[in-house]
Amino acid sequence: MTVATIARASGICRSRFQIYVPILAVASLLLGNLASAAGTPAGTVIDNIAEVTFDLNGTTATQQSNVASITVEERIDVVVTLQSGQVLVAANDANRSLLFSVTNTGNGSETFSLAIDSILAGDDFDPVPAVPAIYFDTDLSGDFSAGDVAYDPGTNDPNMAADESVDILLVNDIPSTALNGQIGRSELSVAAGTGSGAPGDSFAGQGDGGVDAVLGSSGGLAVQFGEYLVSDVQMSIVKSVLVNDQFGNQDPIPGATLTYTATVEVTTGAATGAAFRDVVPTGTTYSANSILLNGGALSDAVDADLGELDTSGAPTVVVRLGDLSQADGIQTIIFQVTID
Amino acid sequence: MKIFMKFVVLAFAYLCAAMAFAQGSGHLELTTVVQKEQISVDDDGKQQKELVQAATVLPGDSVIYTITFRNVSQESAENVTITNPVPVNLTYESGSAFGPGTVIEFSVDGGKYYSVASELTVTENGEVRAATADDYTHIRWIMQNDLAAGAQGVARFRARLN
Repeated sequence: MTVATIARASGICRSRFQIYVPILAVASLLLGNLASAAGTPAGTVIDNIAEVTFDLNGTTATQQSNVASITVEERIDVVVTLQSGQVLVAANDANRSLLFSVTNTGNGSETFSLAIDSILAGDDFDPVPAVPAIYFDTDLSGDFSAGDVAYDPGTNDPNMAADESVDILLVNDIPSTALNGQIGRSELSVAAGTGSGAPGDSFAGQGDGGVDAVLGSSGGLAVQFGEYLVSDVQMSIVKSVLVNDQFGNQDPIPGATLTYTATVEVTTGAATGAAFRDVVPTGTTYSANSILLNGGALSDAVDADLGELDTSGAPTVVVRLGDLSQADGIQTIIFQVTID
Repeated sequence: MKIFMKFVVLAFAYLCAAMAFAQGSGHLELTTVVQKEQISVDDDGKQQKELVQAATVLPGDSVIYTITFRNVSQESAENVTITNPVPVNLTYESGSAFGPGTVIEFSVDGGKYYSVASELTVTENGEVRAATADDYTHIRWIMQNDLAAGAQGVARFRARLN
């Protein structure tokens, strides 16, 4: 019999268990609510106590085990996604932005540094980063605007909790030499402040609450580019509405007919596959077979002619204008609805 | 004098043993350890898995809990049942519970009701469905035979950190 055996069975030890158990129960409730997509928060201590019940000499007894604990380390991971899709620009445009979303997919809070690179392979021209070139989309407009705060490396590096995201804009000018149809790429790279490198690399004591930080599959670094497409096409669309009620007046009352007239014109360049789409206004009902293109009637059905009423979502008037250039002149689209 | 000292030492040893037996009577010793698999490469470049103590874990890691129970009394213990909650933030790994000579049952309601895996159900939005490993809150091992004095048994399960 060792002294350790005696100690384990001693009353002091047992009473400690009794205190420990209720604390554990409370901690469990709190931690359960904190679990997130990024995983169990870094620094969480998970305790385990087993229990045995048994009958000895006709008496039922219960005994608890020691506490086996594990501590959750911090996993550093980051993801960058492009939100803006391909951005249409013209040569000489200034301050054109690409929108990215940066998400801390690790399980602890982390500070990230941001960098832009607009000299990339695989494109036709190099966008020219504005000064400064990286902004927080502070007003969440999705576009570069006056309210957006510039990123200042080392000063306002975004610190994000697990699962938190921040929208970042890369702002570039389009060179005058960019030609219609050309693509220019610009890239956002995001690196964890604790460090980046090979997945599995560890930073002792650098995680939340002093736990070790370990690089996840991203290696603490995420890179994503976006594209500018030079499109010299400029169009003008003018829409007007005429009210005719059933009493011969121009009052917008239920039953009145609204005649919408839209004029579409390419003012610069040539558009390919142009389509006019206009959602039928809420509170009105589309008047069947009322679409006219340059005076010619188009059926509502999805068929060979250029127009239709698309009812796959909210009823939408669609006129497929196709390839259109300045030489085609003004296209006039008319359709009618009645007020419900 | 030497003999006397020997006697004192011996007497102390007996006392310790007696105390231990006294404490142990009516008791089973129960210890739990948590380990994880570590893949190491031997001199021949061959990979091998070994269990090492898991002090720290990362989300997605698997850990193995091993519960050892020993009858330190001088009587045979009957109806020995080991119970272990699936620790908070961990998910039980299907089919991983192990315990020689035991029937293994699970609970999905915090340990109020237990049943073998195949008969356990969960009611979700009024629909009854078979319980899955994700639903388990507790595991218990029911020994089929008595645990003789001095005998020991083992129960084990594996869980993944959320």
